[in-house]
Amino acid sequence: MQMSRNEIIEKLKDIIVSADPGLEERASSVTEDTRIMQDLGLSSIGMLYIAIAIEEVFAIRFDNVGISDFETVRSIVDYIEKKL
Amino acid sequence: MDNIISITSADRFAKYTSPEEFARIRDHGTISAMWTHCAREYAALPAINCDDKLYSFAQLDHDAALLRSALREAGIEPGARVALLSSNSYAFVKAFIGIVTAGCTAVVLPAHLDETAVFGCIMKFGAKALVYEEELEAKTGFARARLAHIGFISAEAQGESFVPVYESKPGDGCVIMFTGGTTGKSKGALLNHGAVMQGVINGCYGYEQVFHHRMMLVLPLSHVFGLIRNLLSSLYTGSTLFIERNNKDMFRDIAFFRPTMLVVVPALAEMALMLSKKFGRNMLGNDMKYIICGAAAVAPYLVGEYKKYGIALFPGYGLTESANLVSGNPESFEKPGSVGLPYPNQELRLENGELLLRGRNMLDCYVGEEEEAWQDGWFHTGDLARFDDEGFLYITGRIKEVIVLDNGENVSPAELEARFNELPFIQDSQVFEDIDETGRHILALEVVPRMTELGALGAEPMKAITEKLWEVNNAQRSYERVTRIVIRDKDFDRSPSMKILRYHKCK
Repeated sequence: MQMSRNEIIEKLKDIIVSADPGLEERASSVTEDTRIMQDLGLSSIGMLYIAIAIEEVFAIRFDNVGISDFETVRSIVDYIEKKL
Repeated sequence: MDNIISITSADRFAKYTSPEEFARIRDHGTISAMWTHCAREYAALPAINCDDKLYSFAQLDHDAALLRSALREAGIEPGARVALLSSNSYAFVKAFIGIVTAGCTAVVLPAHLDETAVFGCIMKFGAKALVYEEELEAKTGFARARLAHIGFISAEAQGESFVPVYESKPGDGCVIMFTGGTTGKSKGALLNHGAVMQGVINGCYGYEQVFHHRMMLVLPLSHVFGLIRNLLSSLYTGSTLFIERNNKDMFRDIAFFRPTMLVVVPALAEMALMLSKKFGRNMLGNDMKYIICGAAAVAPYLVGEYKKYGIALFPGYGLTESANLVSGNPESFEKPGSVGLPYPNQELRLENGELLLRGRNMLDCYVGEEEEAWQDGWFHTGDLARFDDEGFLYITGRIKEVIVLDNGENVSPAELEARFNELPFIQDSQVFEDIDETGRHILALEVVPRMTELGALGAEPMKAITEKLWEVNNAQRSYERVTRIVIRDKDFDRSPSMKILRYHKCK
């Protein structure tokens, strides 16, 4: 699957909003520098949701890592890019 | 006040289950006798599916016997306490069965404890040995260096002598489980064999097909809901239990394991529902028949939504101290807000609105604690409850959370929250006492909206939500009305077991 970084980020925003209803406003301003834990403030179930949804949407599989292992959106995008 | 006592007979549940299966729900008196029965009755059937391996009941019986014999060879006699440190794995299952059938009491340690906490638990609970999963061996170092007289035994240890299953008595200790600690520090509740046996049987009441399910384990086995309702109920009913090693993989694993029953906390049930809606298919698979949901308040919305997928979600109520289940709701479609009918062999009593319990499924004591579990023969749950005309139980709040207003009126936040949570677009809410700009004590409400339902609210969903919330609020008795409503932009802070951490702004 070919996808630009911007396309990946757009899909990530969509996943973040669906993971937590209140994050719509924050998700719209997500950039590669957004920090997963500090800036988004997701619950543990929210992070589990995001991991599952990323695997589903991008048809990839995370190795032995969880969303909390990624510091920023950039590091997730890097990971997804490598896996695509 | 309201000295209502409720006792339910097992017969009350007969109508929900096929007669053949209901007749098979038998009491073996102890968990060791139950296991002997299961190993013989289901020998060739698959008991556990873990790490791509399938273990039959006969294999599990064999492996548990090796551990039992290793315990005896290490000098561990029946009656001793044996700590168990393991993540959710086959190693946990065979070790637990091995320890209990050796006549020992298993002290189940949460796998996330660090090595000093492991040491502390061995000391506090007087364990004679620690059985550990090999992956967690590093956590035994601190204790090993200080406790020369304790046996440190790998879950993979294999003794050479034959040691038969010890014939425990119903009153003998079976397991010590940590309480959730939502009301204070975590304590170790001692449950005897009879209590755990009753807890296992309770999990069999209230639905059509009881035996030979495919179940999936996603809850920690160090929690009674995982250990008793998930693992032991699965073994008792001759079902196959798939042990999910990483919850992130659960939906992929569901696709090939095709479970028929799932035991989850409400937050996980909600997440599965959100994913199903997002991807336009039932993520729990078309074979899923039943979801057993508990350990926190279950929103009636979940019952209705899962019904659309052909899945019956049963809310229940239970405590670590009651060997898991006190009640379960066999009529969740008709009474989605109820935690159901109390299970047999226990008495429930309301005293000043508080739910009191006694019966076979209850703990013996908190181990090593000064705090007495019993007052005048009753266990005080701290939960506020009521019964309807048909004997169905409703949890309306917690005593410690009751807000006493300036005018002396008592308000139960959970009872109020349940009314707001009935709105389909409200995922969670919290009613609390706050202080306004003038220094006046007020009742306030914060809600987390449910994203998947906002589409139905038109162009301005937040405005619509606010209007509906005030509408519900204005329908309450005057002293129960909140004076401030905030729609949050993120979830509430939660405890490790996903319970909302309550605000204490005026204490």
